[in-house]
Amino acid sequence: MTIADDAQRKDDAQQKIEVYLGRLRGQLRGANDAEVREIVDELRSHIVDKVAASGENDAEITAARVDAALAALGSPEELASQYMTDTLLARAEASRSPVQVLRSLFRWGSLSVAGFFVLLGSILGYFFGVVFILVALLKPFHPHTAGVWVLPNGAGDSEISFRLGFANVPLDGKDVLGWWIVPVGWMAGFGLVMLTTHVALWFVRQYRRSLALP
Amino acid sequence: MKEREQPAQETGDKWEVQLRKGCLELAILAALWDGRRYGLEILRRLESDSDLIVSEGTVYPLLTRLKALGLVRSEWVESDAGHPRKYYALTAAGKRRAVEMAAIWARFSSSMSKLLAPLVKENR
Repeated sequence: MTIADDAQRKDDAQQKIEVYLGRLRGQLRGANDAEVREIVDELRSHIVDKVAASGENDAEITAARVDAALAALGSPEELASQYMTDTLLARAEASRSPVQVLRSLFRWGSLSVAGFFVLLGSILGYFFGVVFILVALLKPFHPHTAGVWVLPNGAGDSEISFRLGFANVPLDGKDVLGWWIVPVGWMAGFGLVMLTTHVALWFVRQYRRSLALP
Repeated sequence: MKEREQPAQETGDKWEVQLRKGCLELAILAALWDGRRYGLEILRRLESDSDLIVSEGTVYPLLTRLKALGLVRSEWVESDAGHPRKYYALTAAGKRRAVEMAAIWARFSSSMSKLLAPLVKENR
């Protein structure tokens, strides 16, 4: 075997490692650059050590040894999702802030279908929570138009409308809560935000548990 | 008949997986008890000193999580192998947590062992 062949084989093996790490990097989108670099560097160091240790008496990097080391690590997708949920959940739990929970869910939602639905539900929950709070907040400024209104629609049915009070209300509408919207809005709003955070974290925890150790 | 046994087998496997997974955090903290180690060293320690057969890919995200929780800290150290390695060490909080978890584990496992003694004899 010539030196050139040897160098070529070594390059191929290196290439495999970089392809794997590139796929991992792609799956870690959303994490900040420093975090991603740290993760990738650590795994590269692991793979190189593992490959070197698998040789009988030489530290040569061969494609077969690299394949074995990569297989033992699992697929980049699987690995990334463990990083995302493990790290993100720890962070979300530590802060318990809706912003952190939503950021975590956006990443989870991009990784799995289940995550996507939890994200969708949470957006809905937070949205209505914020609407309640906004209506309660604006009622004192728009006493005659802000509130929860029941408005008859053309088809003979009626619909519920959360109104911030910037627009006029149709004459046949009815402000169902009146000034009660202030305490009710605050309570329902914060209640919904807290409930959504709770439920979302519960789902993330269940998902983490379902990530079985192979 | 075989088909009917399948779900029970699966539940059993799943239970074992959960059990291992639940212990892994404590096992990692324990592997760091007598000094700093890098990822692969922790893995080898877990393999040799316990029969926790762990997928290699599982340990690294967990280490990152333990770091986010402030139970371990990490540093990059140059090695003879020509590339740096990321070493982990317990923080003060990590030591406290490890001791707490070990105490809980000891209580739990001794009461379980007592309860399970007749079943274990059966199996012999």
